Amino acid sequence: MERNMILTRANVRRAKGQTAAIVVLILIAAAMLNLWLMLALDYKANFVRCHDRLNAEDVMLALGVGGDEAEEFLAQTLEHDARTDEYYMDNVRYMPGSFPYNGGDITTPLIFLEKEAACARPVGRVEIVEESGQGEGIYMPILYKSDDIAVGKTVTLSIGDHPATYTVRGFFNSVMAGSHNCAMCEILLTKDCYDDLKESGYALDATLVPVRLKDRGDCEKYEAELKSAASEHFSGAQAAGNSYALIAQSRYISQMICAGIISAMAFFVLLIALVVIASNIINYIQENMKNLGALKALGYVGAQMIAALLFQFAGIALIVAAAGAGLSYLLFPSINAMMNAQVGIPYEIHFLPLPFVLTVAVVGAAVSLCVFFSARRIKRVEPIVALRQGTRTHSFRKNHVPLAQTKAPVHLALALKTTLSGIKQNVTVAVTMLVLSLVVVFSGLMLENVIFDITPFLDMIAGEVTDSCINVNAEAEEEFVREMEGDSRVEKAYLYHSQSSEVRHVDGVALAAIISDDFADVNNQSVVFEGRFPKYDNEVAVAAKYAREENLGIGDEIALTADGREARYLICGFTQISNNLGKDCLLTRAGYERMGELANVSYYLNLADGTDVEAFNEEMGERFAGDVNMTINVEAVVSGTVSVYVALMTMIVVAVLALSAVVIAFVLYLLVRTLIGNKKRDYGILKALGYTTGQLVLQTALSFMPAVVVFTVVGMLVCSAIINPLTALFLNGIGIVKCTFRIPVLFNVLAGAGLVAFAFAAACLMSLRIRKIAPRALLAEE
Amino acid sequence: MKNILLQTERLSKSFSNGGAMQHVLKNIDLELYEGDFTVIMGASGAGKSTLLYALSGMDTPTLGTIHFGDAVISDLSQDELAVFRRAHCGFVFQQIYLIDGMSVMDNVLAAGLLVNRDKKALLKRAKELFAAVDIPEETQKKFPTQISGGEAQRVGIVRALINEPEILFADEPTGALNSKTGLDVLDTLTKFNEQGVSVVMVTHDMRSARRGNRILYLKDGVILGACNLGTYVHGDTARHEKLAAFLTEMGW
Repeated sequence: MERNMILTRANVRRAKGQTAAIVVLILIAAAMLNLWLMLALDYKANFVRCHDRLNAEDVMLALGVGGDEAEEFLAQTLEHDARTDEYYMDNVRYMPGSFPYNGGDITTPLIFLEKEAACARPVGRVEIVEESGQGEGIYMPILYKSDDIAVGKTVTLSIGDHPATYTVRGFFNSVMAGSHNCAMCEILLTKDCYDDLKESGYALDATLVPVRLKDRGDCEKYEAELKSAASEHFSGAQAAGNSYALIAQSRYISQMICAGIISAMAFFVLLIALVVIASNIINYIQENMKNLGALKALGYVGAQMIAALLFQFAGIALIVAAAGAGLSYLLFPSINAMMNAQVGIPYEIHFLPLPFVLTVAVVGAAVSLCVFFSARRIKRVEPIVALRQGTRTHSFRKNHVPLAQTKAPVHLALALKTTLSGIKQNVTVAVTMLVLSLVVVFSGLMLENVIFDITPFLDMIAGEVTDSCINVNAEAEEEFVREMEGDSRVEKAYLYHSQSSEVRHVDGVALAAIISDDFADVNNQSVVFEGRFPKYDNEVAVAAKYAREENLGIGDEIALTADGREARYLICGFTQISNNLGKDCLLTRAGYERMGELANVSYYLNLADGTDVEAFNEEMGERFAGDVNMTINVEAVVSGTVSVYVALMTMIVVAVLALSAVVIAFVLYLLVRTLIGNKKRDYGILKALGYTTGQLVLQTALSFMPAVVVFTVVGMLVCSAIINPLTALFLNGIGIVKCTFRIPVLFNVLAGAGLVAFAFAAACLMSLRIRKIAPRALLAEE
Repeated sequence: MKNILLQTERLSKSFSNGGAMQHVLKNIDLELYEGDFTVIMGASGAGKSTLLYALSGMDTPTLGTIHFGDAVISDLSQDELAVFRRAHCGFVFQQIYLIDGMSVMDNVLAAGLLVNRDKKALLKRAKELFAAVDIPEETQKKFPTQISGGEAQRVGIVRALINEPEILFADEPTGALNSKTGLDVLDTLTKFNEQGVSVVMVTHDMRSARRGNRILYLKDGVILGACNLGTYVHGDTARHEKLAAFLTEMGW
């Protein structure tokens, strides 16, 4: 042990700079690794804990029918189902509606509950997380706490078509209905407000049923069957439902993306640290061949020397990884704040032993393996050969770029010699540039498709986007369509009706059905990415994710039910719309009518530029008073929903680009430092021969450029080719199986050139250390 | 009357050694002449190499001036000194200092291409010089670690002469060589001096010093004395005796 300590101290003293660099890299890698593990292992587990603490439901159904008949029917259905563990039934108010948030509108089925009852209900209760004073008002889900929605401020809700203004009294946490991702959104009212709403008749008398199951794994099927049974019994009634599986996934999409990016960066930084350690050890062996020979001659064995290196690096790695894991707790609050704004379930930061142990173990093991494999050659060193610097004298290398034959200018030729003789240097540069290319291509993709122009992202995530959506009763449809056709402000009006609660795949779960007369009219023709839209009444396009899970292919026949009737359809295409997390289907109106009738229909309207959508909707509401059930300013809804994604993506892109700049500068610093250390003698000789510092700096920087340029180009090309499938892999959880994002070629070319230029500038800057090398240092060697 | 090639006035060089100043060269006034084979002798630590490196622009003096023609090289920046060295000087080191990663030929061309853009002419001169020092073409393709010490030092001389320098500085060129190969190197230097190259050589070896026509003896940072031996003639015993007497007088 003491012998190992002596060798370890000597090694650390020998390469203080590199040791410091390794420490910094491991610190960053461990911090990111621990952050990722905390997000991956505990952040989502917080959902489960919260779910259990509030005895939250596994399945929730809001049925737009109240009263004894509904309650009796639902009670009978639930009690006859052996999978039911416990349930509670609540009389609530229910109406699709919207409220302003983040510069746009959130539109979702709104469930209004009386505050005290909601907090006291035995199944699926909510908890108040913030409240102030007494008085009338509403409590909003904590997710929506913002500058505009704050305690004491007022918020105007659109309940159906009726605006209602309330004072915000506080915020609550509801696991299963606390965000727009939950298929419904609960809003709590003080008793007075609730009674007023009840009297106003703005919202439907409804029944809310939170159900806990004996086996949570049944939740999706249970929900589908319950909704189907309710729809069948109360034909035409509005209903919204969700399940544990759906909510657990949908509320954590941002967390999944963020955790994925952090994990990729963590492993990248760890990889760089391992490359630096390996290069440090290989250099150590080369430089200390004589010392190693002397130690072996004194009786040390190879294993002892390897153990000393292991002791040194693994010791540093374990201590620094522990410190890095600690550092991650300083970073976690800002990540938590960002995630809370996406997830909406409060998370209390606390020490997590498992991620800590895993971080330290992974870093320790990776470093130990790297040291062992890099230091193995020490075992083969023979004392006598080492003492004679045997490995050097017998190193017969190829004379790359012979100066007598090359046409390249002398500085370039000398740089190429360094390039071609530095395999380790090139491998490190290659890994760095490939990873950074991926980061740049991803950033370009997000800039082009999310930040600068959100349309492609919306096309994929939101499905269909237009200006206005108006839902009218079926009886008024003909007149409404005629009106729209004659209105100069309406460029296009087409049926795009989402029947979210009634269509069910006989062998599977409920599918949100989107119904249109002619899908050739829809704006987003990329919703069906394989096959085609349904044209005939016996065709259906189904979500690709669901089709994969159920092993369904184009040409297969499936049975769907709605309104208690069953019909068979041929699958003609695959869709991907994230709204229903990969559980949806497209049907023609004629196709749907083989099962049921549409009581009301939603029309999407493309309006002429400059049309005030809000005013237009209001006007239509008045003109078709009594027949318009709901109007949606789709543009405002979309911008409200996507603004959080744009903000998140902007933050991620800025962070990864900044981190990339730091990483590239750091990697080049290490490489240049190692190169200069190894070539100090050569630089001294060249300076003695008359090379200036500037010429040597140029040569050094140029020596990195072939690998930088080649692997940046390769990286950009490969990453541009794989970025869409890779992004699809990331987004698979929300039902996306194929991404067709635009690849910004010009941005990629410019970013690639920028990456190379930055690398060159950084290499030049780092190489300025050469000016410290004086030819007179050669004297000192003599 | 010989032309002055290099001239120093009150040349001094001091180093800080643990806070105390160590004065290695003290107020040296010196003239070096065109075509001479000047040898600087002295005991270990006398400041021989320090003087050589100051004269060659490899190092800057602490005080005093060094003139090369009309130029005052002691006033030049590091990069200007580099340009001066490549244009006017050649160097032969005791440790040879060939670059291990380059072939023998490339070691020479790396110096040559810095000054000479005409690669054809440069290759021709390199081949002539290699022939003159008896380095065959096969050896020119090898790496420094694959050739003998004597061969390496002769390659060092070729590299030093590739740019046709006005002055060749040699720092103990035979110090790392055995007797036979050391003699070969000295013969080579003598041959080039006879062809008109001015040589300044540092040595503490009498056998090497005999090759010079002018001997300077350095002691404790000052030039204690100088001795003119005249043109070198192989087997001239009188020359040896004269040098021995001079060195005895200097306290060698």
